[in-house]
Parts: sequence; structure tokens; C-alpha cells
Amino acid sequence: MKKLTILLAAVMLVLSLAACTANKDAGSEPKDDGKGKNEEKKTEKVLYLNNGQEPTSFDPPIGFDAVSWNALNNIMEGLTRLDENHQPQAATAEKWDISEDGKTYTFHIRENAKWSNGDDVTAEDFVYAWKRLLDPNTGSSAAFLGYFIEGGEEYNNGKGSADDVKVKAVDKKTFEVTLISPQAYFLSVIANPCFFPINEKVAKENPKWFAEANSYVSNGPFKLAEWNHDSDFTMVKNDKYWDVNNVKLDKVHWAMVDDANTEYQMYSTGELDTSDVPSELADKLFKEGDVKVEDQAGLYFYRFNVTKEPFQNENIRKAFALAIDQKQMVELVTKNQEKPAYGFVSYGFKDPEGNDFREHSGDLIKTDAVKAKELLKKGMEEEGYKKLPEVTLTYNTLDTHKKIAEALQQMFKENLGVDVKLANMESSVFATDQKALKFQFSRSSFLADYADPINFVENFITNSPMNRTGWSNAEFDKLIKDAKHEKDEKKRYEMMYKAEKILLDAAPIVPIHFYNQVYLQNKDVSGIVRHPVGYLELKWADKK
Amino acid sequence: MNTYFIKRFVAMIITLWLIITGTFFLMHTVPGSPFDEERTTNETIQKNREAYYQLDKPLILQYGNYLAALVQGDLGPSIKKPGQTVNDLLGRGFPISFELGLFTLILAIISGIILGVVAALRHNGWIDYLAMSIAVLGISIPNFVMATVLIQQLAVNIPIFPVATWSSPKHMVLPILALATGPMAIIARLTRTSMLEVLTQDYIKTAKAKGLSPVKIVFKHALRNALLPVVTVLGSLAASILTGTFVIEKIFAIPGMGKYFVDSINSRDYSVIMGTTVFYSALLILMLFLVDLTYGLLDPRIKLHKKEAE
Repeated sequence: MKKLTILLAAVMLVLSLAACTANKDAGSEPKDDGKGKNEEKKTEKVLYLNNGQEPTSFDPPIGFDAVSWNALNNIMEGLTRLDENHQPQAATAEKWDISEDGKTYTFHIRENAKWSNGDDVTAEDFVYAWKRLLDPNTGSSAAFLGYFIEGGEEYNNGKGSADDVKVKAVDKKTFEVTLISPQAYFLSVIANPCFFPINEKVAKENPKWFAEANSYVSNGPFKLAEWNHDSDFTMVKNDKYWDVNNVKLDKVHWAMVDDANTEYQMYSTGELDTSDVPSELADKLFKEGDVKVEDQAGLYFYRFNVTKEPFQNENIRKAFALAIDQKQMVELVTKNQEKPAYGFVSYGFKDPEGNDFREHSGDLIKTDAVKAKELLKKGMEEEGYKKLPEVTLTYNTLDTHKKIAEALQQMFKENLGVDVKLANMESSVFATDQKALKFQFSRSSFLADYADPINFVENFITNSPMNRTGWSNAEFDKLIKDAKHEKDEKKRYEMMYKAEKILLDAAPIVPIHFYNQVYLQNKDVSGIVRHPVGYLELKWADKK
Repeated sequence: MNTYFIKRFVAMIITLWLIITGTFFLMHTVPGSPFDEERTTNETIQKNREAYYQLDKPLILQYGNYLAALVQGDLGPSIKKPGQTVNDLLGRGFPISFELGLFTLILAIISGIILGVVAALRHNGWIDYLAMSIAVLGISIPNFVMATVLIQQLAVNIPIFPVATWSSPKHMVLPILALATGPMAIIARLTRTSMLEVLTQDYIKTAKAKGLSPVKIVFKHALRNALLPVVTVLGSLAASILTGTFVIEKIFAIPGMGKYFVDSINSRDYSVIMGTTVFYSALLILMLFLVDLTYGLLDPRIKLHKKEAE
């Protein structure tokens, strides 16, 4: 009996000690309740943001998602940086020369480009980082962006070697890269965080240099000061940054609040400077006019499976596509002020003549219930159907997807007189089955990786992993291939216009709406740039 | 005594092994893989990533490797959080969940027992009805509703406490309150029921007849017996509360380990699924063992080993 008592007492002691240690840790963390914030405000400018979740990684080729990008883009810097108009500008590279054939870029890195530990940013750092991006052992999901570089794809899929990748350090501050074909948007692509340099010396000494704030060496406007995993991180102005005089904020504190309502409540009590709009409050907040809306490069769409009945028939596909009322969808269903999509490439891309790609390309597929019915009839005759085979619409389980799916079901009933069945599925299973072409008609989305229309249209070349429709068109494939090798911007845009038209004429997909970024922002805050390709820019941000 | 512990220990290890094996193979039969994302991935990259995490090896080999590493206390690298191991994730998530859970348990046990005892002593009186109404409310209001109400009332409308995050004692009050109401209600009801039963027993009458003070009767004689059913539920309750709660941690942005239970399954992060399962089962098994030990303490009639029972 006594032994038991002693045992129990020991267990309790251990448990309570553990609790005490946890207590101490929590106590020493910086307080960010209302009081602390006001005191800090007088002395320094601190921006309070929410990252939602723990960043996947701050290792540039690995942190290839929104939760990593937003911060990464501000602690690091590539050769170029996107400006407030989302155009690439000189950043770590001061200037560059492009060869006659448009394939070789020579970047001149700034003399005063330094790492946060004082080292020079050198051409070798870029060579190291870019080869690492393509190294099959890195396992980067962003590696495909490096396929523009000669030898990149071969190295990544194990057929070539690192030495064959055409990136080289001409001298300490001159970096040269050769592409497989002239790419007008190359300067924009390399603003993507996966092309950021890595301090070779630091990385070789400590392969996990990116895992903690104290070992993180960066070259951007800010540097990582503190990182409490799963809880919050702080970045401070980087005094070694070449353009430090234009950085206005002293500090940015990122919370990780993964609940939309909590985020909004923290915003309303002043604990955060920006917030997303929780869907239940969207109506009210939009009416009050505090919500800001900006474009995002990407769209919500549906895929037809052309290998499954009845969607092997183009007219039947088009009938379904025309029966959808995109305008009604955004006004009455999603209610988030998205732009209805009547084409695949989103707004915001200018062709050489200065026209917006989307506006110039026009509405390639527009709601038309009468024509939809005609096409359905025609298609059924072509296939010899007396009765349309049963159609099931599949989406991954989520409230917003459900609402849209139900609205589609209603539209098909009203405009086509067709009853479609709805099915929903857990996300991972859905993704696997969609890739395996197991659905007839399924929900899809696309977010651009870089700012060029080619990134949108190239998804549907034969056997692209993003195709997932079974659709294949030789003319379309050729146009995309040619566009990728075309040096003349005007001709290149012509090819992309044509390709998009072919795609929507054949209608293996039907666009629903373009994505946007809606958010609330503290009125004292200005200068935050939100790029349509996804990441946030705080270099010019300021707070009163 | 020692043989009992050895036997118990062996049984615990076998139970754990069965759970690990079951989870490992079940997990791999679920369709989908960690790399099935909406985002573009081409086959080469997919293969590189699978090879990197050894997912291209035969399942039985993966299982063997996992067990071998596990024996050395290595739970493997997280697939979805590159550069971090499952040990890292649990190592920093658990202390926080534990802290939250411990305070919650203390609050729930103390207030639950007090409510239950008071209700039993004033059986069918207004205090009883009040206490039990509170208990019913506590059981029927889910903790996430409780959390939202608490935030709205005590952080936004009347700003006494911060809305969320986990950085000072002040930040802890709302999540602890939200999390404690449910267990408190369960404990209160259990205590009341068994107190009522115990209070009618002969030895209590004897104690009263002896002229013992009511306080002594309740706390020394009645409560000790009445606590047995409470202790029984406490084992599993403690294991689940101490390892964190997905919803509460999400609402209050608490960096505990609760989210890994759900997120890892959604994203098919195999090593994290295994890690959380192993950890939770080990803790649960340990708690159940402690419960058994506590039985012996509370009720000398329950013997843990044959020798003394004879």
C-alpha cells in the first residue's frame, strides 16, 4: 500500500514538474495583448499579421505554398522582385543582359547585396540554390519551374547531371543562365520564392539552417528574429538589406490563427492589422464597405471527363457549359464579389499592345439556355441517345463546394431539364480519383504559379498532370509548344489567344469564377501589395 | 507485487504493438497519398518525393523500418512539414496541450466533485436541481459553442480577456473554461449518483450513529467510495484532454498537438498519423494502469495481486 502511495506521488510530481516547465516557457514569450502593443507603437512600427498556420518550410524550394510564401517573400529576395503593378523589377540583380536569341540571361548582382550575416550575396549562391531546386534528392514540388533552364528537366528526372544544368557563376557577382527557349516571362517567374538564393556556406555547414530563426540567414527586406513553431514568428527590418532605407516597418509579427472567426475577432479587438472575411459575416461586412477586393490569378472551374459517357460528345459538354449562369453564381451563391469566368485565363495579363488578355479574348463561353438545349438535342442525336446517360457531379467535401454544386444541379435542371446526381468525397481521395479519370464531371481549381497566360493554358496539353479530362488536341498542343519557343511577344500572345479559344470551343472544362483576395485592413496600414500570383509584399508597407 | 507489474507491462507492450500494427496497415489502405494535392505535380517530382520518404518501398519493409526506428524512440520525419521530425512536433505540441489539459482537469475535477457532492447532500432540493441543470447544460453544449460564446462575451463585448493565442496566463482562462465545462458536468453527475447510493449504505448510518461530524462522514467515509466510478472515467478522460483538443486549439490558436490528430489524417501525413496514435495509445494505456492502481488506494478490498487477496 505504501509503495503504491509513493509511486503515485512520484507520478504526480513528474506530471506537475512538466506542467511547470511548460508554464515557464509560456511566460517568457512576448506578450501581444492590447497593452503591450500600444507601448511598442510609440517607439517602433510593428505590423500584426496572421499566417493561418505554421509555414511548411522556409527552405525556398520546399516552401512552395501560401503559408510559406507570404513570409518567405519578405525575408528573402531573388534576382527580381514584383512591384506594386506586379511587374518584375531589379532586386538582388541590379541589371541584366539578354542574348540575341533571347535564351541567355546574364545577371549582374548588386555590389551591396549582402546576407543578414554580412556575407556577400554571390553568383555561386544562386548556382547552388537553383541546382538544389532541381536536385531530385531535394524532392521539391516547385522543381518543374526550373525546367525552363537548359538541362534542368533532365537533372530533375535523373537522366542528366547537375553539371549539365546551364547555370553558372561567371565571376563573384555575375550569374549566367541559359534557357531551353526564349521565355518573355522568365524575369517574372524568377521572382517566385523557389528561385531565391541560398547562402552556400551556411547551408553546407548546417543542412537544417532553415528550420530555426537563429540559424536562418536571409537577404530580403526583413530577417527572421523569432520563430515559435506552431504559435507565431517575428521578422525585423534587415539592416544589411541593400535597399533598407525604403523599408518602413521595424517589425512584423505573424500569428498562426487557423480559425476565420477568431481571426476576425482578433482584428476587431486590434490584435491583428488585417483579416480575411469570415463567410457568415461577408454580407454585412461587404455592405459596410470595409472589405477590400483584389484579383488573384486563378479560377474555380469544373472538368468534364471526355472518356466517360455522355461527355465524349462535344455538343453535350457545351450544352452543360452554356447552361451554367456564372453571373448568378457569384451574385447569389458565393457572394464574395468574384468576377464570373467566361474564359480560362484570369484578368491582369497585358499583351504587347496593352490589352488585357481576358478582355481582348472576350467571353468564350457565355450562358445561353436556349442554345444549350439545342446543343443537348444535337449531341444526343449524334450519339443516338434516347435518354441521356446518368450524370454524377462530384466535388470534394466542403461547404462552399457544396453550395456551388447544388446551384449547378439547379441550373442544369432549369436550363437543360437534366437531373444530375451529386456526390462528395474527402479531398485526398477526390484528388486521386480525379487524376485517375474516375469522375464524369468534377470540381476543380487552378492557381497560377507565375504571372503569364501560358501557365493557365499549358495545363491542358495532352497528358499534363493538370489535364485530368482525357482531352487531347494536336493543334492545341502544337500552339502551346510553339508559344513556349516564340521570341516575338506579339506572335506568342496570338498563339495563346488561339489556344484558349480552341480549349473553350472543345469545352473539356467549364469556368465558374475567377478567384479574388478579399480582406479587411487596419486604416493605419498602407502599402501592402498582394500579388495575383499569391504572395504578399511588405517591403513598402507602412503603419501610422 | 513485482510479477503483477511485469505481467501488466508485457500486456501493455503487446496492446501497443497491436495498435501500431493495426493503424499502420489500415492507414495505408485508405485511398490517397500525402502527395495528392490540387497543385500541379508531375510524375518525376512525385517519384522523387516518394523515394525521399521511402514510400516506394514494399509496405512490409516500411513497417519493419518503422518498428525498428520506433524502438529507438524515433518517430520519423514528417512528410508534410519538411525538415521537422514527428518527435519535434509532439515535443513542442504536447507540453502545451498538457498544460491546458492539466488545468482543465483540475478545474473540472474540483468543481465537478463539489457540484456532485452538494447536489447529493441536498437531494431533490433546489441546489440539486440547479447543480444538475448546470451539468446537463455542460454536457449538451459542445465546447466549440462554449468557446465562441466566451470569446464574444468576455473578449469582444467586454474586453477582459484576449481573444486567442497562448502567450500569457491571461490567455489561458477562456480555453480552460470552454474545455472544462464538459468533463465537469460528467464528473458532477457521476459523483452525485454514486454519492446518493453510498449515503444510503449501512456504514454511513453507523458513522452517523457514532456521532461523527457530517464533514467527516462525507469526505472520509462516503466520498472515498463514491469516487470509484469517477476515477474509472478519469483515465480515458485525462488521456484525451491532455493530448489536446482539435476544435478548442483551433479556435483559440493554441499551438498544442490536438490539430495533428486531424490534420495528419486529412493530409495523409503517415508518420504523423503513426506518431500521434502511438503517443495517444501509450498515454491512454498508462492512464488506465494508474486508474487501476488508484482503485487499490481508494478501496482496500480491491487487490491488485493474488497473494494479498488470498
